[in-house]
Amino acid sequence: MRIDKSKKDVTFFLLYIFSFLLLWEWLRPLEELTDTGHLGVFLGFVFVSLMMSYFNMPILPSALIKVIIILYSIHFMYYEGTFFSLEWFGQLFNEVIVNSVVIINAEWTEISNVFRTLLFFTLLWLMAYLIQYWLINRKQIFVFFFMTLVYITVLDTFSPYEADAAIVRTVIAGFAVMGMLAYYRTADREVVKKNLKSAKKWMIPLVAMIVLSVGIGYAAPKADPIWPDPVPFITSYNEDSGEGSGGVKKVGYGTDDSALGGPFIGDDRVVFTAEADGRHYWRIETKDVYTGKGWVADKGTAVPVEFSPEQNIPMQPFEEEVKTEQRTSRVTPKIGYPHLVYPLGVTEVEASSGNSTLQFSLDPTTEKITSIADGQAGSIGPYSLNFNHPVYSVEKLKAAGPEELATEFAFLSKYTQVPEELPERVVELAEEITKDKVTWLEKAQAIEKYFRSNEFVYDQTLVAVPEEDQDYVDQFLFETQRGYCDNFSTSMVVMMRSVGIPARWVKGYTEGEYIDTLENGRRLYEVTNNNAHSWVEGYFPGVGWVPFEPTQGFSNNVQFEYDNKDDSQTQTGQEEEEDTTPTAPEKPELPEEQAQVDKPKVSFSEGLKSAGAFLKDNLQKIFLTLLVLAVFTAIMYRLRGRWLPVLYILLYKYKKENKYMEKAYIALLLQLERYGLKREKGQTLRDYANYVDSFFSTNEMRWLTEKYEEYLYRGDTDEEMWRNAKKYWEFMIRKVSA
Amino acid sequence: MRNQMNPTVERILGNIDKVMTGKRNVAELSLIALLAGGHVLLEDVPGVGKTMMVRALAKSVSAKFRRIQFTPDLLPSDVTGVSIYNPKEMEFEFRPGPIMGNIILADEINRTSPKTQSALLEGMEEHSVTVDGVTHLLGKPFFVMATQNPIDYEGTYPLPEAQLDRFLLKMKMGYPAPEEEMEVLNRAQRNLPIEDLQPVVSLEDLRDLQQSIKEVVVDDTLKRYIVELANRTRGHSSVYLGVSPRGSIALMKAAQAYAFIYGRDYVIPDDIQYLAPFVFAHRIILKSEARFEGITTEDVVNRVLARVSVPVQRLVK
Repeated sequence: MRIDKSKKDVTFFLLYIFSFLLLWEWLRPLEELTDTGHLGVFLGFVFVSLMMSYFNMPILPSALIKVIIILYSIHFMYYEGTFFSLEWFGQLFNEVIVNSVVIINAEWTEISNVFRTLLFFTLLWLMAYLIQYWLINRKQIFVFFFMTLVYITVLDTFSPYEADAAIVRTVIAGFAVMGMLAYYRTADREVVKKNLKSAKKWMIPLVAMIVLSVGIGYAAPKADPIWPDPVPFITSYNEDSGEGSGGVKKVGYGTDDSALGGPFIGDDRVVFTAEADGRHYWRIETKDVYTGKGWVADKGTAVPVEFSPEQNIPMQPFEEEVKTEQRTSRVTPKIGYPHLVYPLGVTEVEASSGNSTLQFSLDPTTEKITSIADGQAGSIGPYSLNFNHPVYSVEKLKAAGPEELATEFAFLSKYTQVPEELPERVVELAEEITKDKVTWLEKAQAIEKYFRSNEFVYDQTLVAVPEEDQDYVDQFLFETQRGYCDNFSTSMVVMMRSVGIPARWVKGYTEGEYIDTLENGRRLYEVTNNNAHSWVEGYFPGVGWVPFEPTQGFSNNVQFEYDNKDDSQTQTGQEEEEDTTPTAPEKPELPEEQAQVDKPKVSFSEGLKSAGAFLKDNLQKIFLTLLVLAVFTAIMYRLRGRWLPVLYILLYKYKKENKYMEKAYIALLLQLERYGLKREKGQTLRDYANYVDSFFSTNEMRWLTEKYEEYLYRGDTDEEMWRNAKKYWEFMIRKVSA
Repeated sequence: MRNQMNPTVERILGNIDKVMTGKRNVAELSLIALLAGGHVLLEDVPGVGKTMMVRALAKSVSAKFRRIQFTPDLLPSDVTGVSIYNPKEMEFEFRPGPIMGNIILADEINRTSPKTQSALLEGMEEHSVTVDGVTHLLGKPFFVMATQNPIDYEGTYPLPEAQLDRFLLKMKMGYPAPEEEMEVLNRAQRNLPIEDLQPVVSLEDLRDLQQSIKEVVVDDTLKRYIVELANRTRGHSSVYLGVSPRGSIALMKAAQAYAFIYGRDYVIPDDIQYLAPFVFAHRIILKSEARFEGITTEDVVNRVLARVSVPVQRLVK
């Protein structure tokens, strides 16, 4: 049904305006989220298109105008010279040809801006037409309105675009359009004249309702989301998702640790392979300033130290008295990072420089070593590392205490820094854990051990991001108790610092996965992004930096020597990887339940989970039982036409009293209906009986019905009635059950 | 239907069939009204055999037949009769009008003034007429068959609703089918056989029949059914005024007569359904919107019949 020109009144114009506003909402985010410029031009195009549709311009002229606008806009945006020269038009034509080929080859990134603009105009043209179609032909805009809402909410959720105002605008425009279209639909259906008077009657309440609903919606309190933000899980599937935005990170080495937390997904990409004599962690850098959310490096005044491959690395993590073993490891990078990975105690890097001059640069604050080729930071090929593998003397470690550092104020304040906002309970917890311990070593080990308790769960996915006013460590220690290496290591550093032990946070990789033993007897390890790790180093005066490993399921291969004994106890751990094999989350079944007791925030999801676990365990049984029952019931129900008559016959055949006639007859009626012979509401029994009899070519239904009529409408009947009518009834019910 | 007709009724109808071609249902319905003690309103154009039918019916039951041709100048006394001063006897003497018969054909009742109409209608309801303060009882049985031209003919006085209500049934005779009309022509070529028609039952027998109709059983479920039907007409969206309780009574009585004609001593829903349009339709006043939409009162009744569920179970006491 088309509306002829005369019917296009003010309200219809408003309809177009509001539709235009809806469409505008689609374009608004483009400016913010993409590098689309000249949004006004596109908007103008849409507006003109809609207006031409409103004024019912014939197709041909309107198409011509649109084409001219498109061409002019493209010329305005991309080409120099006058619009009327054919030169640029030729270029445009070429562009189209070239890009068409590109599109056919699916090389999306190759499409030029000019062509994109052209395509975009085409899309807008289509949209304008679609809106016209919805407004005039369908008189329904809900689909478009709904899509707009979805689009905006999705953008609001998944992109930086803030759609707070856009939602309100969309709802107003959408309601307006829908309301007005409802008016036109109703008016059409009821054949009411669409004049200003009737429009007023509709539009005033419509406006009132929009104002009311939007007002209430705007003023109403809005609850915070109950569910954790789903976005990280979704964006984690995006290959390009970056780090540091608080969303899901891909496991691996990243430089920004200022906002820790959030789930993780695995990444099997090999970072490097290493030939080594034994297992050891690979360091990259350390960080010393805890912000309450994560780690940053104190820029300080330290100047990077440059050194060449043959020189000793100016880094001394432990005192000379510490017993060491000379070792060499060889690293073959697979992903070109400018930084080196090295074991604790590295002394020298050997790398073939090729043709270029190779230098290294060490940042003394972070202990990050960067390779510089030809004056520029860049990745290098395979390199060998000589290092002193420390064997710590427990005696000396025990002897180390605060006294020797008493004068090193700068050092102490740097490595015992905690943010001022650090909740008191973190410190109290650290003190509580260490209260019976005397030496720093014991204290550090007590803290390290604390994390091994069952209360903590290693998990990469269900990991919280701290709220704005929440401390990362506090959240982990007291609320979630669920996390990965960053949670554990950061917490340990903070707790060590809380009790006055200098500590720092170390990033790097675990030893990786053992691949093979080489011919020369050395072992080959493959280190992937999954092996990215963080751990703790505590400083012990007279010894130096000693690594600790608080993370559950990991163990650092730090050697300790108990001096009075011959055997040196070596803490060697199982090779544990930070991987995402499905066995990982199953480990901590027990602690989850304990965690429910006093951690309400977690307990909701935990409760769901435990219920889910029960369901999961018994799911098959429950499901099977239900399925069998359902199938049985369904079959019985489907086949009730078969067995019910038999039941009825058994029930009523041997009865003599007339009252069973009624029950039997009603049962027969039901059975007939199931058979497909439906009795209308107002259809008399006699009429129906004739119908049934004509269907089956029988007479019994009529005879039976006559008897029943007499029973029903005459009142007192002879005692023998049911006995006489029974044979007809049985005949009929057998007939319909067949 | 397997029910056999009541033999007496069969005889009467067979007798009427001798002079009437087709129109068995009209004869049957008229007989129902006669037996149920009601009256019939026939709405039809002249010349379709109304008079013939009524005369045949009157003859068959050996009743006294009177015919009143209503005209605009007819006076009430022309219907009821007048008291005339008899100089010989020195007193007023009642000269009975045409209403003093058993079966009255009131032809074109809507042609006369309401005053005259009401004289007849009062007689129909009261079974008596009062002239000059003296009440004269009417014959027994007393059966009026009124005919009226369709309302939209000019120069008519449509019957008021209250008076329409007094007719048990309203029906249309309609034109005969072509074959029937051929037969009508054939019969007309011979002589008019109405004069030869012999009565088949006495007036006494007729009264007996009327009496036995009252004994036809109407089960409570069916009374409730009738009430529900009447009630639905009252609430119907197209209806301005629904069926009155008098209408419900009329339907029950008619259904009893119908059941009796078909040899049953109990009413079944089929009887009610068959009769409902004839009994109810003229008692319903439609809203003007519905009238403009072309809805007829018969449509309303049929819709109500389709909506109200037929009782198929005994009432639970």
